[in-house]
Amino acid sequence: MSWILPEGASLEFEGLAAPLRIIRGLGGGTQGQVYEVELEGERLALKWYLPACIARDGGLERRLVASIRATAPNEDFLWPIALLRASPASRPLIRIRQESFGYLMPLRPPAYVGACEHASGRLAIGLRQVLRACFGLADAFHALHLAGLCYKDVSLGNLFLEPGSGSILICDNDNVAVDGADHGAVLGTPGFMAPEVLLGQARPGADSDLFSLAVLLFRLLTRHDPLKGQMELAIRCLDEPARRRLCGEDPVFIFDPVDDRNRPDPIEHAAALITWPIYPRPLQALFEQTFCRGMKQPSRRALTGQWKQELARTLDRRTLCLACGQENFQASGAPALCWSCGAPLPEPITLLLAHGSVVAAPDNELHAHHFDALAGEDLRRPLARVVAHPQDPRRLGLRNLQAAAWSAETHDGRSQPVQPGESCSLAALARIQSPAGPIAVQRPTRPSPAT
Amino acid sequence: MPFPDVKLANRPLHFLYLCDCSGSMAASGKMQALNQAIRQSLPGMAAVARDNPEARVLVRAVRFADHAAWHIETPTPVDQLEWRDLQAGGITAMGEALKLVAAALQTPPMEVRALPPVLVLISDGQPTDDFAAGLEALLRVPWAQKAVRLAIALGHDADLEVLQRFIGIEPATAGRSPRRPLQASNATSLAQYIQWASTAVVGAASMPASRVSETPLEPAAGNIPLPDLPPTVLDPTDDVGPLVW
Ligand SMILES: Nc1ncnc2c1ncn2[C@@H]1O[C@H](COP(=O)(O)OP(=O)(O)O)[C@@H](O)[C@H]1O
Ligand SMILES: [Mg+2]
Repeated sequence: MSWILPEGASLEFEGLAAPLRIIRGLGGGTQGQVYEVELEGERLALKWYLPACIARDGGLERRLVASIRATAPNEDFLWPIALLRASPASRPLIRIRQESFGYLMPLRPPAYVGACEHASGRLAIGLRQVLRACFGLADAFHALHLAGLCYKDVSLGNLFLEPGSGSILICDNDNVAVDGADHGAVLGTPGFMAPEVLLGQARPGADSDLFSLAVLLFRLLTRHDPLKGQMELAIRCLDEPARRRLCGEDPVFIFDPVDDRNRPDPIEHAAALITWPIYPRPLQALFEQTFCRGMKQPSRRALTGQWKQELARTLDRRTLCLACGQENFQASGAPALCWSCGAPLPEPITLLLAHGSVVAAPDNELHAHHFDALAGEDLRRPLARVVAHPQDPRRLGLRNLQAAAWSAETHDGRSQPVQPGESCSLAALARIQSPAGPIAVQRPTRPSPAT
Repeated sequence: MPFPDVKLANRPLHFLYLCDCSGSMAASGKMQALNQAIRQSLPGMAAVARDNPEARVLVRAVRFADHAAWHIETPTPVDQLEWRDLQAGGITAMGEALKLVAAALQTPPMEVRALPPVLVLISDGQPTDDFAAGLEALLRVPWAQKAVRLAIALGHDADLEVLQRFIGIEPATAGRSPRRPLQASNATSLAQYIQWASTAVVGAASMPASRVSETPLEPAAGNIPLPDLPPTVLDPTDDVGPLVW
């Protein structure tokens, strides 16, 4: 890579009191180059634009200034902090003749990896973490859209994941603009672009973000593309005109309940066929809503709030197969079989809350939105977590993550306190009184299958 | 529990270098510069391949001098590629090289389904054999018609007209100048063009990058919109002036 900014040098920028040290180049994309930099002992990232990009995108500087003033919708965005132009003294150190600028943003911590690592199957990650990442993505776009903004260039390349927790970070926030207001240069990334944008019939905005968001969620959940089925197999050379047909002129969802022209191929598209049945009906229905009716009717696409709700509920349904240990997410009630090994799933203990229910499986969590109908779904601050007994993993407990003690009530009416950080065994309990609200413990009505 | 062990369906992306190894390449270190440029570009190319799960990037190379021959015959995943140095010596059998590539792009051996191949022709002179027959044979093959064809002219003796015929003569479209052979007049610019072809162009042909409104969504010619050429980065070590071929 030919770096525009000199690695190892200290540069002065207008408006920055201290010099900025360019530690090293991190990567280059279509718009610019990104560097790790140090400012007064703090590590940050600096994106420096290519002159061609600045020339093409007249609104770039104005958008960046507006974003910097508005501040990030939530902490999952690597949001611009400051716009930088070299001082006259440092100008000659920049290795291009044309005038250019850049912006500072937080540096992605090393534990976060590009989402394409997951899409390409190189990342060890669990289903719970993938669902949490999907929730984080819906939550971030929810905050962005509620602020009246749109993102315009949703793609795998702009998302980072922390595989241990499923936390996310979103980069490349320089196309963000007030929805419908700014005609920026970017149209999106083919494969993620809404059909109306790909065909040049609409400018990218919040409605097309909803399409792109659904594509990205689908790819994270299935490691497959929602439009690549039989119709893709019929294409010999997958070039630009072919993509335009497949994703713009005649796009058909591979699991469209009515139009079966684009079903996945059992061998070529095995990923989709294996992973899709893992997810509960209501979550599948949001994809159908977006990729069937919403394909040509942008206003019918599933909204960020719907995604948040269904993804959070899917996580609440998580249970582990006793036979193979794999995670399952099917709706409770009807007897179900493990998607992975086919063993019957036991009917689990369920925690009933004022606003929803959570299956008792290790690592499942209770949050404020389970107790308060007005609280939006938020997975950042769990109030309680299901834990397995260290000696006997079949025995489940609930750990108090709140700041005040709980009162746990047994079936015979006795009660005992559960201090913050302590866990109580669910087996003997009927109910827990917590500061957030009551937690009722519902036991299975049918016996668990013999193992 | 781990996410099920499934991988994104992918398609092969064949990348072929066609390298001029005629005697003139021995002058002024051109052959060494080309070997270096390709070797240096491989890590970046491997990174692009990693970032594009929809593509399986496979590299081959043809050398041509008195005759054309495979330098790397087996389509090789870029992360397994070791670049052995090309040696200069002989005349310029470019037409023969095109015929060799034409045969390789027939189905079979080409897969039925693939991404558009990328062909990069690098030359510092004029073909000494029947270039027209070679080009005709190449352009009869559907995969060659679909291919992204790039040409790099080394120095001032390169035959720009021949290279232009290889990449195709494209009518000027509104707002876009027609594609021309890339002219490398020193080792630095050669390295930049090789890097561009092996990263930005491979990226564009495999998993499309962000589009801006100026990129025509329906390109007039060529079935892959080509990315911007690299900016001219001033080389800080160039104080003595670059060696000009
Ligand atoms: N804040 C950041 N911290 C660390 N790496 C980053 C950051 N932002 C971008 N990158 C990396 O820099 C490279 C180019 O970034 P990107 O903004 O996507 O460029 P472009 O928009 O030109 O494609 C990518 O490899 C990306 O992973
Ligand atoms: Mg990007």
